[in-house]
Amino acid sequence: MHAPDQPDAYRKSYGQTATGSHAHTYALRGIGYPAEAMTATIQLTVPGTLRYRNIAVRVVAEAARLVSGSVQRDPTDLLDNDVRDPFDTAVVSAFMEIFNNVAIHAYQRQGGGLIDISITPAERELTIEIKDHGAAFDLGGVAPLPAELDEATLPDSGMGIHIAKTMLDEVTYEPGPPNLWRLRKRLPANQVASGRS
Amino acid sequence: MAPPFEVATHGTETTLIVRGSLDINTAPALAEEIDKILGTKPTKVACDLSALDLIDSSGVAALVKLYKGVRSVGGAITISGARDQPLAIFKLLRMDKVFNL
Repeated sequence: MHAPDQPDAYRKSYGQTATGSHAHTYALRGIGYPAEAMTATIQLTVPGTLRYRNIAVRVVAEAARLVSGSVQRDPTDLLDNDVRDPFDTAVVSAFMEIFNNVAIHAYQRQGGGLIDISITPAERELTIEIKDHGAAFDLGGVAPLPAELDEATLPDSGMGIHIAKTMLDEVTYEPGPPNLWRLRKRLPANQVASGRS
Repeated sequence: MAPPFEVATHGTETTLIVRGSLDINTAPALAEEIDKILGTKPTKVACDLSALDLIDSSGVAALVKLYKGVRSVGGAITISGARDQPLAIFKLLRMDKVFNL
């Protein structure tokens, strides 16, 4: 499978077919690419501690950009935390909270297990599965945010799951082992993926 | 790695600039700094978030701690400059109104 609409020089310079990672390069360059190039699943396994969080977040941010077609403020700055596109914002914000949850609740900040992350960018949606082998989380026990928010009721905890649920189209949790979080975000119908022809 | 914040204190007035990513890994250092700021019984705190790219609920909690702490000692606090992902999070949590963002 390769991108038939890509210039020969481009294919030659990268020397391979259009896998997910190559499609990302196309998106950053604002060149269109075939939908089938978007179906590859990206697999990432990291130790279940917060030390590895940023690695996972960066991979997820790049996968979100595959779908939204957004570009970084400075693509050459590998340490840039910039997330501006609404789709990227939603995906990254939710993923950060779920990763935090797994490291803190499933692995009790002690690690001792792995987090398996599967990221599937499709034509207009992104699905992320996050598996851990730690303690199960009581999703039903998460208190809602106060109905009326003012100085006195400003929450200082319990916001993470609310952020994830509100940002995404779908957040499900299946206690295990392994415990499985499934996150899904669709590109809004009125949002044209930027950077695509 | 340098902490994602700068603090400048003049008497009981403090300016706090937060940049980069304020998250579960970086918020604890800011929370320690906030304890020091609150220890000065500040009359005025200005928190500038214009260089902040990314925030999670732990980062939000640190800023809530600052906000409540300054108000509890009778001080005035302004939080300004939030944009992009951080602003989206504050709006989602309906804190933009409380913080006057």
